[in-house]
Parts: sequence; structure tokens; C-alpha cells
Amino acid sequence: MNLDYLWGGFAIALTWQNLLIGLIGCFLGTLIGALPAIGPINGIALLLPIAYTMGLPPESTMILLAAVYCGAEYGGRISSILLNVPGDAGAVMTALDGYPLAKQGRAGEALAISGISSFVGGVIGAIGLALFAPILSSLAIGFGPAEYFVLMIFALATLGAMVGSQPVKTLIGCVLGLMLATVGLDATSGAYRFSFNEPELGDGIEFVVLVIGLFSISEALIILENQSAGVTMIRKLGRMMARLDDLRKCVVPTLRGSAIGFVIGVLPGTGASVASAISYTTEKRISDRDGTFGKGDVRGLAAPEAANNATACGAFVPMLTLGVPGSGTTAVMLGALMLYNIQPGPLLMSQHPEMVGGLVASLFIGNFFLLALNLPLVNLFARVLTIPNWLLVPGILVLSIVGVYSTNASTLSLYLMLAIGLMGWLLRKLGFDMAPIILGFVLGDVMEINMRNALAISGGDISIFFKSWISLVLWGLAIAVAVLPFLLGRRANRRKARLTLDAEAQP
Amino acid sequence: MTTPATKDGVAGRIGAAALLILALAFGLGGATIHYAFASDPLGPRVFPVALAGALALLALLYWRRPGGAEEFPHGVLLLRILAVPGLVLLSVLLLEPAGFVVSIFVLTAGVAWIFGASVRASLIGGIGHALLWWIVFVKLLAVYLPPGWLFA
Repeated sequence: MNLDYLWGGFAIALTWQNLLIGLIGCFLGTLIGALPAIGPINGIALLLPIAYTMGLPPESTMILLAAVYCGAEYGGRISSILLNVPGDAGAVMTALDGYPLAKQGRAGEALAISGISSFVGGVIGAIGLALFAPILSSLAIGFGPAEYFVLMIFALATLGAMVGSQPVKTLIGCVLGLMLATVGLDATSGAYRFSFNEPELGDGIEFVVLVIGLFSISEALIILENQSAGVTMIRKLGRMMARLDDLRKCVVPTLRGSAIGFVIGVLPGTGASVASAISYTTEKRISDRDGTFGKGDVRGLAAPEAANNATACGAFVPMLTLGVPGSGTTAVMLGALMLYNIQPGPLLMSQHPEMVGGLVASLFIGNFFLLALNLPLVNLFARVLTIPNWLLVPGILVLSIVGVYSTNASTLSLYLMLAIGLMGWLLRKLGFDMAPIILGFVLGDVMEINMRNALAISGGDISIFFKSWISLVLWGLAIAVAVLPFLLGRRANRRKARLTLDAEAQP
Repeated sequence: MTTPATKDGVAGRIGAAALLILALAFGLGGATIHYAFASDPLGPRVFPVALAGALALLALLYWRRPGGAEEFPHGVLLLRILAVPGLVLLSVLLLEPAGFVVSIFVLTAGVAWIFGASVRASLIGGIGHALLWWIVFVKLLAVYLPPGWLFA
């Protein structure tokens, strides 16, 4: 196995600029994860245009965004434990045992244990990524236009899994994203499509405008709507170090959680929430002999935390090797690559080994930063939870406006951002998820160009999409993946619902 | 937050109808794209039209099972929610003539007030935001933002 890309990547990630950028990303990511109002996807949407405007090179931007992503998976546990409100989707299960521990006056210990298991999960995930990525990308070298097109079909098929309960809405979101991607100049024929003679739309809808509209403007409205008191923060943290005995009990659950999380992360479409749910329920089934899960068992805390951090690393595998995002957040990161005119896809690793290697190496380094930040500084992050929404949300809006304006200095983009934000809010109220729209948008161009190129090669004969064994395997995978996570997700949801009921029933 | 199934369905039906209209408009727009030549057998029209077809089909499926919507806000809450994009719009209008600092002050103070802060806290918060972001972006990160008449 060739790991040269990784050693080259360490050389990039260990320059002092990239170390500093990684450290800042880890810090911001933990903050973003800790705040219940915003998750990794919002944080990345806000930071991406700023990084781009500052003229950071693509590998540094990727290091920053990856650090934010991983940091948010660490940070999410803080509000789960102290507020019983998950800081992001992956931290839902952490609250089940974390909050009871905090109520027993052991919040500090719970934070320490979950920090350590996050670290183990993150490092194991990064090792898995480093080993798996070259294997998968060497398979991907034999892709022609027809295979790429079927790959995109596979990517879209996996989306049914992202929001398993409502596949029709997921697919609608996806088609909307593909439609938005057709706006602007068609490179093959020189025709303008859906640009309404507006020069700015002639270049297509900008990724930053779409992402910020969908993830930050609409988010602000949702926060306002859900603003309700009634959560009590646990301020007494108690002893800040984990007991050796507890740590010993957590070794196996943490390793199991990491493995489950990584595998689920690699599956396109299934994110941290599914991974942490499955690892928690698995751990409960295996270890819960005395019925202590849900009442403050450290093992129920360690397993899902390890899982959600391993998932974040696993989600990079399909993104970096195939150009197919493993989660909503990696979909935004794919869009970030396109800002730099880097075409995500099977050739990414051979064409930009420095960027892929730098990213993977930064995940190793980032997890050490995160451990160092999260153990001693957890008090500081906990204090962030007391920032009221009336101070926080205006800040999100300012970052949105600056982000969009700074990438092209045009107020028209800001109006478009606002319109997309309102549309996103309406769709969210109707129960749509925003991630499929982003995914459709990111994959739209690649999909259309490859479909047309393939048909140009075959002279219009569609059997080209079924000729090679790669295409046939991908068709098979597409069908399998559309069905399998759907079943898994349903099972996990059912179990989660039952567990939550159990937890609520406990006094 | 559970809603009665009927209300739930109405919102979904409206959404499905809107999507169907969008599909028709998009398909029509796609079928009439002007182009002089195409170097491939498909040309620029086929993909958009196919997408429109897919959306129409999905919209019909959605119409059949329109559930899963959250309750839409109404009354004062709806007004407060709509006031947020209203303020964003106002601050975008102000951005180039009045400058970044003024525009951000209006936005942040207004939104803080909508989120339930007292008038005094909103004003102080607005000044704080305006100064903070001006220092961060203009002074530290050297991002170009319109200075406006105040700092011109």
C-alpha cells in the first residue's frame, strides 16, 4: 500500500501556518459544536467564504474546515452533558448517560471521559481514512464518463438514506439542487440556461450564496421559532479528571464505537446521528447487565462519542476518493473544492495528493489539539453556552452577509441569498432536509457533463452505461445502498425512540 | 410539537402544487433554450427537461402523501420571524450607501430586539457587533467592505 501521500501530507500540515489554522479551526469547531443553535454544517458554511476571501490556499482551507468539522463533533457533547440539549445531531445519544452523570455532580468527569473517547474515535477514524483512501482511489482510476455518471446515480441513490423516513422529500431536494446547478452558461454548447439575461446568473448560482442562504439565513429563522426557555444548565462541574477505573471500563466500548462509527461514516449518506444511535444501542445490548444505561453509565457515554468522531473521519473516505460526500458536511466541503476549481472525483487523489494528504494528516494532528483544548479548557467552552440568542444570531447574520459580499462584492448576491434563505425556511417547515439540495447542486455539473460525454462517445447509444463491470457494480451498489441504510436507519430510529422513552420513564 | 394530520397535509399539498408548477415552468424553459450548435448528441435541453420530468413525478408522489410538515407559525411569531429577513433586506439596502458599520448596527440591534432583548441591550449589542466585526474584518482580515459616508 502506498502511503507516500500521507507523509507528504504531514510535511504540509506541520508548517506553522497550517498548524495555526488547524488550531484555530479546532477551537472554533468546538465552540460551534457546543452551541445548540448551530452545528458543523452551519459553521463550515459561514467560515468557507471568509477562508476563500482571505486567499488561503485550498489545502489550508480544507485543513480549517476539517478541523471545524471534527471540533464540532467534540463540542456537541458539552451541551448534551450540561444542558441535556444536544449541541449537534451526532451528540443526541451522549445526553442519555451524560446528563444523568452531570446531575449526580460528575459533569467534569463526564466531560473528561467523553473527551478521551472522542479522541480515540477520531484517531481510529483518521487511521481508517489513511488506509482506506488509497485503496478506494486506486480502484477509481479506471473510470470513464459512463462510469462517472453511474457513480453519480449511486451517490444520489444513497441520499434516500440521509433522511430515511421521507425518501420522496430527499429526492425532491436532490432534484432541486440539480436544477439550480443548470443555471448559467452551458459549457458544451455556449447556451445560457435560466439566467434571465442577468450577467451575474450567467456564471451560475454561486455555491457560497446557496450554502449560506440554506444553512444560515433559514437557520436564524428556525432558532427564533424554537426559542424557548425551560432548560437548566448544570454549573457544578465537580472533579475534572476521569477516574482510572471508569476509563478502564470504557476501553472496549470506545473501540467498538469507533469501529461502528467509521464503517457507517464510509457509507455515503448516513451521518453521525445514525452512527451514534447504533453504537449506543449495540453497547447497551452487550454491556448493560445491571440496567445502568440511561442512568449515568460511563460506557453509554463513551461509545456514541467515539462513534460520532470516527464517523466524521469516515465520511471523508467517499468524498476524497470518489467525489461522493459521506455526509451533509462533507457535501459542503466538496463545494468548497469547486470554489478553487478543483474537480472532486476519482482523480482527486492522484491530481492533488498534497491536498488530500494534508487533510488526512491534519486530522491526526487536529485530534491531539482537540484533546488538549477539550480537557483543560472545557470550562471556557461551557461558558459559551450562556451566550444568549439575541447576541448570537445577529452575529450569524453578519457573518452571512460578509461571507457572501466578500466573495464577489455584489448586493445582487445578497438578495439571492435572502430569497434562497426564505425558500429554505419554507422547505424546512415542510419537513425537507437541506443537505440533499447541496449534494444535488455539487454533483449536478459533473453528472450532466459525464452523461453527455458518454453519449457522445457511444453516438447516443445508452447501453454504454451498462457495459463495463465497474458500471454494473455501481448499479448494484446503488440499488443496495438505497435499500440498506433505509432499513438500518428505521431500525435505529425505532430503537432510539424506545430508548428515549425508557430514559424519560426513569425518575 | 405534533400537529393535526389535516393541517399537516394542507401545507404539504400546497408545497407539492408549487413544486409541480416549478417543474412545468422549468421544463418549458428548458425545452426552449436557444443554442446555435451542440458538440454532443444531447445538447443543452435534455438534462433540464429530464429533471423537470423527475420533479413533476416526485411532486405527484408528494401530493399523495403530503405529511411530515411542522406547524407553520402565525400571529405575532410569524411577524417576528418575517421581521428578520426584513431587517436583512434593510441592511443590504443600506450596505453600499451608508456603509458596513451603519448597516450592521441596524441589523444586529434590530434582530437582538426581535429575539427579546431590551431596547437598551439591543442598542449596546448593536454597537458592540458593529465595532467587533469592523475590527475583525476591516482591520484584522483586510476584507473589503463598503465604508459608506461615515468612514469615507
